[in-house]
Parts: sequence; C-alpha cells; structure tokens
Amino acid sequence: MPVPTPFPRRAPRWRWCLLLFVPLAAPASDDVRDAWRLVADHLNRDAAVRLSRSRESQTRARRLAEATVAIDAQPVTQERLRAAEAELAALAAGDDEIAAAAGYLRGRLYQVHFQQLDLPRAAALYRELADRQPRSHWAQLGLVKLGLLTLYALPEPSAPAERIAAAAALRPRLQEKELGRDLDLQLGRAVLFYGLPPAQALPHLLAADRAGGLIGQAYEDLIVMIGELSMRTGDYAQARAYFERYEREVSYNMRVVTVRRRLEELAALERAAREAKR
Amino acid sequence: MSSRIRARLGVAIAVGCYLLATYWVFTRSAPLVSQRPVTIRVAHWQIEKGPPEGLDAVIRRYEQLNPRVKVEQVLVPGGGPVYRQWLRSNLIGGTGVDLLEYGYWLDGMTDIPARYFAPITKEMLEPNPYNRGTPLEKVPWSETFTDGLIVQQVTAPVPGQFYAATLTEVSTRLFCNRDLLREITGGTKMPTTLKELRTLSAQVRAFAARTGRPVYTLAGSRDNANWLLQFLMQGAMMPLSQRNDRFGTLALNAWDELGHYLEGRWTYDSPEARAGLELMREISLNMKPGFLQSMRDAATQEFLRGDSLFIFAGTWDGTSLRTLASFPVDVIRFPQPTPDDPVVGKFYYGPYADGGGGTSMELYLNKQSPHPQEAIDFLRFASSIEGNQIFTDHSGWLPATRFVKVPESIQAYVTPRDCFTFGMPYTIIGSNVAASLDRNMHLLTGPVGSVDKFVEAMATVMPSAVRVDLQKEISNRFLAIRPQDLQITALGELARGTPEDRELPQSRERLESSQTQTEALIYQMQLQLARAGEEGSGRR
Repeated sequence: MPVPTPFPRRAPRWRWCLLLFVPLAAPASDDVRDAWRLVADHLNRDAAVRLSRSRESQTRARRLAEATVAIDAQPVTQERLRAAEAELAALAAGDDEIAAAAGYLRGRLYQVHFQQLDLPRAAALYRELADRQPRSHWAQLGLVKLGLLTLYALPEPSAPAERIAAAAALRPRLQEKELGRDLDLQLGRAVLFYGLPPAQALPHLLAADRAGGLIGQAYEDLIVMIGELSMRTGDYAQARAYFERYEREVSYNMRVVTVRRRLEELAALERAAREAKR
Repeated sequence: MSSRIRARLGVAIAVGCYLLATYWVFTRSAPLVSQRPVTIRVAHWQIEKGPPEGLDAVIRRYEQLNPRVKVEQVLVPGGGPVYRQWLRSNLIGGTGVDLLEYGYWLDGMTDIPARYFAPITKEMLEPNPYNRGTPLEKVPWSETFTDGLIVQQVTAPVPGQFYAATLTEVSTRLFCNRDLLREITGGTKMPTTLKELRTLSAQVRAFAARTGRPVYTLAGSRDNANWLLQFLMQGAMMPLSQRNDRFGTLALNAWDELGHYLEGRWTYDSPEARAGLELMREISLNMKPGFLQSMRDAATQEFLRGDSLFIFAGTWDGTSLRTLASFPVDVIRFPQPTPDDPVVGKFYYGPYADGGGGTSMELYLNKQSPHPQEAIDFLRFASSIEGNQIFTDHSGWLPATRFVKVPESIQAYVTPRDCFTFGMPYTIIGSNVAASLDRNMHLLTGPVGSVDKFVEAMATVMPSAVRVDLQKEISNRFLAIRPQDLQITALGELARGTPEDRELPQSRERLESSQTQTEALIYQMQLQLARAGEEGSGRR
C-alpha cells in the first residue's frame, strides 16, 4: 500500500511556477531563529544545544547556523574550524544571502580564527565575494575588512602611501553608508599612523563625520581629531567649528579643558593671521 | 533524682528547645527559601567604610520597587590578589555572580572583560527607565554619567562598546590633620602651590626634630606612592604627550603609550619624565623611610595615629579617614606646580588633573548570568538619579550620575573642569609595566635612591615589559573580536527574518563598526611590535 503524501502523485504541469514563491534563501525556522537569538545574546553553547536537539530538516539556514556556532565551540580546535570551513565553503557555492554570509565567514576564519592565519587567502575570499555578490551586505563588509588588510597587513603594496591608495580604491564599491564611513575613518587614521601629512587624512575623516552614526568614544575622538588636525594644517575656521562642537556636545569629558585651551590658542592664531593679511 | 525523672527532664528540655527553635525559625529568622523568585548578586571590593552601606540602601529601595527580585551584596577584600583570584576562579568555574566590579588596572586580568563580560551597549543607548520624570528622562543611559563613561569606553575590549555602569566619581586629594597643622605652624593655612608645600615640609621636619616625635609630612605606603606617581607623571608628561599625539585626539590611551615607547618616542629618560620622577623623589622623601613595604592600610593608620600631617589618597578612602579620625580632617587639592617651579616648571602646561577624569566602581555583567535582564535593571536603578542619590547619601562617596546632589560634606571631592589630562599616566599602562615600576620604585624613593638609578633600571626592563603588555593588548582584542563574528552573523540572520525590526540592523552595524576599529588597532600594534623587533628600538 502506497504511503500517503500531502501532495498528489502527479503534480500539475504548472508546479514549477511554485518556485517563484520560494524566497532565494528561506527564512530561518523556529529552532534556527532561537539559536541565532541565543548567539546574539552570547549564549553560543545554548545555541549549539538547541540546534543539536532540533528535529527540523537540514536546511541551508540551519547548516549556516551550525557552522557558525561551531566556530566558537569551546574548546576551539583546528579540526572543528576546518570542518566549519568545509561546510561554509559548500554553502558559499550558492548565490543567496546564506551563500554570501558563508563566504564572508570563510574569509574571517582565515583572517582571525585559525591558529595559522592566512591573510592573503582571506583577502582573496573577500575579493571573490565582492565580485560575485557585490550588493550583498556580507560582500560590502568583506570590502571593509579587505581595506584594513590592505592598509596594514598584506605584503603588497608595501609603501604606506600605496597601501592607502589601494584601500581608497575600494571605497567607491562600498554602497552602504555606514560601511563606507568605517573605511573612511580607517583611511584617515592610517594616514596619521604612517606619519603622512595630516591634510591627506582630513578628507577621509570629514567624510566619516558626514556619514554620521558613530557613537561613544569613536564619535568624540573623530570630532576632536578633525578640530586638532584642521588647526595643525591652518584651517582655523574648520578647527573652530569642530572644537566648538566638541565643547557643546561633549562637555562632560575632561578633554574639554584642553579643547578650551585650543580655542584660546586658535583665537591668537586667527588674530595673527588677520594682522599678517593687513 | 531518680533516673526516670532525669530522663523525663531531658526529654522535656529537648522538646522545649525544639519548640523554641521552631518558633524562632518561623517568626524571627529570614525565610529559608526566598519568596522572591529571582536572586541576583553583586560583588565588589569596596569594603571601606561607606560603599557597603550605600549599596545596602540602594538594594533596600530597589527591592521595594521590585518584589520579584532579591539582590545580595558580596564583599570580597581588596583590589589585590584576593579579589583577583576570587574573580578568575569563579568565572572559570562558572560560579561568578551576576554583576562584578572590575578595573582595567588589575594586575594580570586584562583578558577578563573579553572572556567573561557581556557588552550592554544596546541598553546604554536607550534612556534609563528609572530616570522617568527627571531631567534625564529622554537622555541615553550612557550620557547620564558625569563623565559619559569615558574610562569604560577607553578600556573596553572593543571600542565603541559599553560594558559597565559606574556608581561613583573619584578624585585624589590631600587629607589634612587640622590639629597637627595648627600645632606645627600655629595656624590652619593650607598649601596651594608646590612652593608652599616645600616650605611646610621644612616646618614639619623642624617640628619633628624639635619635639622628637616621628612626624612626617605625608603618610607613606606603596599604594599611596603609586597614586602620587600617577598624578605627577601624568602632569609632567603633558608636553611630550602632545608631541606624540599623532592622531590629534588630545588624549593618549595605554596602547598608544606602549606603542610610542617601542617607537622610541618616550622613555623614563625623556626630560619631561625625569622632571616628574625628580618631583616624585623630592615629595616621597617626606614619607616615613621604608614606606614601600607597607600597603594603604598602614598609611591610613599612620595618619590616624597623628604621625603624619597629610595623607595623599583617593576619595575612596575619604569616608574611612573622616569617620575613624579622632581629629578634624580637612580635604584639599594637592598643591599644583607653577610655571616657575625649579623642577617641573620648564614643562608646565597647566594644572595637573586630580580627578574628574572618570567615574568608577564599575560593575560589569557576567556573560553567564542566569538573570541578565534583572541584573541590568538593577544597574539601571543604582545609576539612576534616585538610586545614585541614595548611594551618595549613604556612602559619602561622590555620585557618578548627573543631577545627583553632592552633600556639602564631600563638596571638596568634586573636581571642577580646571585641570588638564592627556590620557594615561605612563605608569599603569600595562600590568608588566606597572609591575616593573613597582619592583624598581625603591631605586627612586629609597634613602639611597636617585632618578638616575631608577631610569637606568627601567631602561633595562621596559622594552620586554612593554612588548609583553602590547602583545597582551593584541591577544585580548582577538579574544573580543572572534565571538563577535558569530553575533554579527546572528544579528544579520535575525534581521533577514524580521525586516520590520529596526534595532537588529542597527545593533549589527554598531558591532561591525567597533569590530573594524578594534582590528585596525590590532594591526597597528602588530606593526609597532614588528618594527621594534626589526630595529631593536625602544631603548632610545
């Protein structure tokens, strides 16, 4: 006796049209979503338990969750990481968001997780992802990580100015405002770290400020940096604007005392500049 | 008495005792099982007079407002080895309490936040519900602290993330035995400049010689000397800090100073450092010889016995000093150098910061807490205007929350915005550097010590101490960023499933941003280490 199924034995001819209603990557099931929620709350072990007890089918979403949780399963071993990478590589072969997330995580394994990091390999994976799925968030985030690697860690280019130019070349490919801001901020800081002229850093830092959205110390530092670097490069009006903004918005930080001293010094410089013009 | 009567009497006594005990248990003692379903525990080392009472009062009020929750205060002695061992062993064993005090300067503990504490950034960016109906009603929780939680941010394992809430603001002050001052000088005029302090110290020495009493200007101990060194070095190094401020942030972090050392941008032989050390030696000679063998309790006792005119201490010791002293205690700010000072005047930028730089008694959320929401809720109350006012009134410590009224008795602890700081004080920038300083401090402050001897000894040990500390900075950051990959992916997947939730993408974006900043720092530090390795620098 045939086993009853929920579908007729002979599906109608138009059955393939049903595929149109299947999203490119199916949303996570309840167990998988619960597991993600646990991971978001730092409860990775609980997430692993939840997934292992799940009776839901082995979907791509579930496989991604399992591979992700395995990355930080304690004790972390190279074997587990390699197994996770193999699973991520299989998932990355698709063309949906899960594939993009898996591709990105593969890059991260080589960039920060494996005992023996392979930064050129990580960079290659980020490039590959950005070429394949350029609009995916994971590809965009990968470009920021690629920018960092280019700025500091990859063997080539080796000259600081060339590193900055190579990383800056990635900037137009970043469509997401916040990720663009993060790369801008790092471009500006890299200019200063390498001791290149501060004037080269300012456009990047100003762009980061225009994008907005930074919080806490990163925001406070950015405002005071632009003020101070503008003063050092002789753009007194801009320096004044940023120092006054800092004084207005961050008055609780003791650094405001130095900022006020800078404003006094700035007034003297402005006076001297005016007199020199006469 | 027959044996039968004795037996009956024994039984009667036993039954009587049983009934009495039963009555006692049901009427007088605390319930054997808490009637509150949730218990959270808060551990800290502030066992001085003040904070335990303050926190008790906060807990009483919180429990009135929240009948479901019981809060227990766990007092663990000292910020020293006992607390460190207690903290680490409990966290490793999974028995850590819900909220834990932690300080970035705790020796050998820099990996703790990344491993065991959960960030509370999301909550920090929302208003604190316990501030409803106050001027801080709509202000994000992080901005309700008097310092905007700047120290927590600077020392967080991941820039841009919030990990702790604080309860108090600290400053360092000079506590004075007013009776002794009058006995020595005939008046109560306090020194306001280093020049006046030098004159007063000479008077104290003359008084001790004249009367044969072992009286010193300053109570001495290793801890008090370390606090003094921090204050003086931070001030003396300001011009050098500004020259080394490559990013233009007007403040240097610990890792900046470690990296700058490897780049040869400063050593303890730098003129500014030598001036600060010279001043430290000069002032420390007004402490009892051999003070480095004592801890802060010994200095407190020395002051309370009337064997020293002043004690330089943090306001964390204020309540103990003022309640235990049998004489009136005045509180003043440490006398400041002037531009014409013979030792540090050449490097004078402005008054040295003696507080106001940050809030403290920071409480972190244990990642393994079974009740994170309740723990965060208690933190919110303790740092709300109402909660922090209760803490301040009952502890005698400064508040950490804006709009909390500072009682008249501790107004002297408040540091107005009138002094300068450019970040870390070149002493507690890493546990190995701090330990090296500790080990060699006798060469600076001992009777036969000198700045030269100290500088020479530090030049030998610093390069390796700095390398190890910078390596630790790197490894701690790796510890912090690796699990973030999981969280970022989780937030991304959750957001994909619930596109209407606006918080998820925002949380993810903030985490990504702070992770990127951390990674950039890692690469910069790695480059500094690699270059120092190539060039053998850090000894210039």
